[in-house]
Amino acid sequence: MTSQVDLREAADETVIAISGELDAAASAGLRDRLIPLIPGSSMIRLDLAGLTYISSAGLRTLLLVYRHAQAEGSAIRLVGIRDEVRFVMSATGFLALFGIEEIR
Amino acid sequence: MTDAITCPRSDTVAGYVAEGRGLQDGRFTITTSAGCDIDMELAENVGAEVLRNLDEPYLDASDHIAEMLQPGRFAFFYGIFYPGAPFEVKRIIFVGRQIGAYRFEEPNWWIDQIESIARFYSRAQFGDGPVDFRNYRTQIRLGGDKNGSHVQETDTISRLVYGMASAFMLTGNDHYLDIAEAGTEYLREHMRFTDYDEDVVYWYHGILVDGQDERKLFTSEFGDDYDAVPMYEQIYALAGPTQTYRVTADPRIKRDVDATLRLMDRFYLDRAKGGYFSHIDPIFLDPRQKSLGPNTARKNWNSVGDHAPAYLINLYLATAAEQHARMLGSTFDTILDWFRDYKNSPFVQERFHEDWSHDSTYQWQQGRAVVGHNLKIAWNLMRIHSLLPKQEYLEAASSIGDIMPPVGADQLRGGWYDVVERVTRDGEGFHRFAWHDRKAWWQQEQAILAYLILHGVTGNPEFLRQAREAQSFYNAFFLDHDEGAVYFNVLADGFPYLLGTERLKGSHSMSMYHSAELCYLAAIYTNLLIERRPMNFWFKPQPDGLVNNTLRVAPDLLPPGSVRITEVEIDGALHDGYDASALTVHVPTTAHRPLVRVQLSPAES
Repeated sequence: MTSQVDLREAADETVIAISGELDAAASAGLRDRLIPLIPGSSMIRLDLAGLTYISSAGLRTLLLVYRHAQAEGSAIRLVGIRDEVRFVMSATGFLALFGIEEIR
Repeated sequence: MTDAITCPRSDTVAGYVAEGRGLQDGRFTITTSAGCDIDMELAENVGAEVLRNLDEPYLDASDHIAEMLQPGRFAFFYGIFYPGAPFEVKRIIFVGRQIGAYRFEEPNWWIDQIESIARFYSRAQFGDGPVDFRNYRTQIRLGGDKNGSHVQETDTISRLVYGMASAFMLTGNDHYLDIAEAGTEYLREHMRFTDYDEDVVYWYHGILVDGQDERKLFTSEFGDDYDAVPMYEQIYALAGPTQTYRVTADPRIKRDVDATLRLMDRFYLDRAKGGYFSHIDPIFLDPRQKSLGPNTARKNWNSVGDHAPAYLINLYLATAAEQHARMLGSTFDTILDWFRDYKNSPFVQERFHEDWSHDSTYQWQQGRAVVGHNLKIAWNLMRIHSLLPKQEYLEAASSIGDIMPPVGADQLRGGWYDVVERVTRDGEGFHRFAWHDRKAWWQQEQAILAYLILHGVTGNPEFLRQAREAQSFYNAFFLDHDEGAVYFNVLADGFPYLLGTERLKGSHSMSMYHSAELCYLAAIYTNLLIERRPMNFWFKPQPDGLVNNTLRVAPDLLPPGSVRITEVEIDGALHDGYDASALTVHVPTTAHRPLVRVQLSPAES
């Protein structure tokens, strides 16, 4: 199963939804698709509600997104993280890089 | 240009009382290491002491100066240069009670010293309570207190673990092994990143702790290596666990080390042009990423030369695995192929582009030499020569041993300098200091170990002289008899330098690694190779960790056949299941972890 990226833009934010499995194979291609979607000086929400698995390569991809957003002066939030993904991100310390929003 | 300093100035002079010019009417002459004669005069209020170890009382020798200042005696003389007059001696440090006797050559000198240092760091980090690495802090003040910093660096924990494991090997004191194992476990739990996609392990730079909360620091936080994964951090993350593995045979440590070696092999190794890259970026694990800035596609001393001393020799000693022997040979072949630059400098080049062209533009490094790295090459060449005999290794090490003293040592005061310019200025006969003429504890270690093993293997008496002079300076000036452990830096004249981070006993740079490594290996080289005396070593292996129940007990890479096992005890009972010349012990399978004491002795020559 591969991952999928959907983009939604609103007046004051960009929402990038990543769904599926972010494994090593998916991560390589995802990087090239994600980076151009990151605007400057904006709020970016990564909607992970549909993300069912994240690998080490996937974590590094998120790190890339984080670094790129920082460079663009954008803030970044994670939304709707599933428990299994949250566990992996927390255990590896990657979760601490991001602000987290819960789905209400 | 004036070359006359006409005002009195204080200084320290090291040398030997000259033949035929011993003490008479308060005057005598000494000859320095470089062969210069300096006339001396004792001040009326001169004091004297004999070298003492940590935790030993002051040994006053003021009433014995006359009988001790005899020709051939080596000592340190602190006093005042008055223009046109003999050097007025205010204080003398004798390095032994008799002429030709050096206190640090006593059988237990270095063993006592590592135990004192281990007690200091144990108390500093854990006080009188249980060993809990949640309380570990990288920064330790001069007296052992912690400051407010909440950073736990992976490398400094690993270095402390190394020191404690080494202290256990020399003393059998379970408390030190407890710290080593707890630290190894803590590194595994908190500092290790297991990348299942790539089937490798890498180690976080560290963690920021605040109570029960921690934030992992994935990439280096330091200017030199900011936002990169430097090779040297991965190397030193292995130092402590590997030394612990020699003692415990814990298979989990072996798995972590092997997985880290796969990281190095897959992402840092340059298969095309040889050597290891110095940095990879944290996202693509690629050494050629432009985001690495001045570290893009670079190789340096650390990424090539530090494997051997930090973990790889110890890993080989524990396993006798052929691939580790090959890596030892290839890293030092790389050094001999690319690092020497004798047509331009007596010092090696330390930083390179991918194609081995020199990079002399980097930040602090520029065209500079770290004196201790040259000595480290000599020291480790001699170790590897014992495993993989090669005339080139012996010649290269001996050559470094010959050329270093006039360019890297302080031949007036003793001790070894820090960072100097690789190339002298036109008309100048010395290599200018990059920043200062202070002397660092770890650089003295490199000189001591290099010259000890050079003499121990070759028998060259000049190397023994250099080893003794280096040990004399270190033991005279670096031991902190007031607060414990050793000083980071001393001024050129030997007085402690206690400003900034160099005041600390625990920091990014210092954490019971070099001071313990020095004690451990100086004891081995002095006792087993030079003075030819037996030594005891302790191990406590896990029964399920030994391959074929075989515990390998070689203390270091020494000349084949130079030492033998002469006694083994397991849990206090004599045990005869060992191969004396192969340096292996057969450890019977037990339900518990046995305490194994091994006596090693020099072989009959």
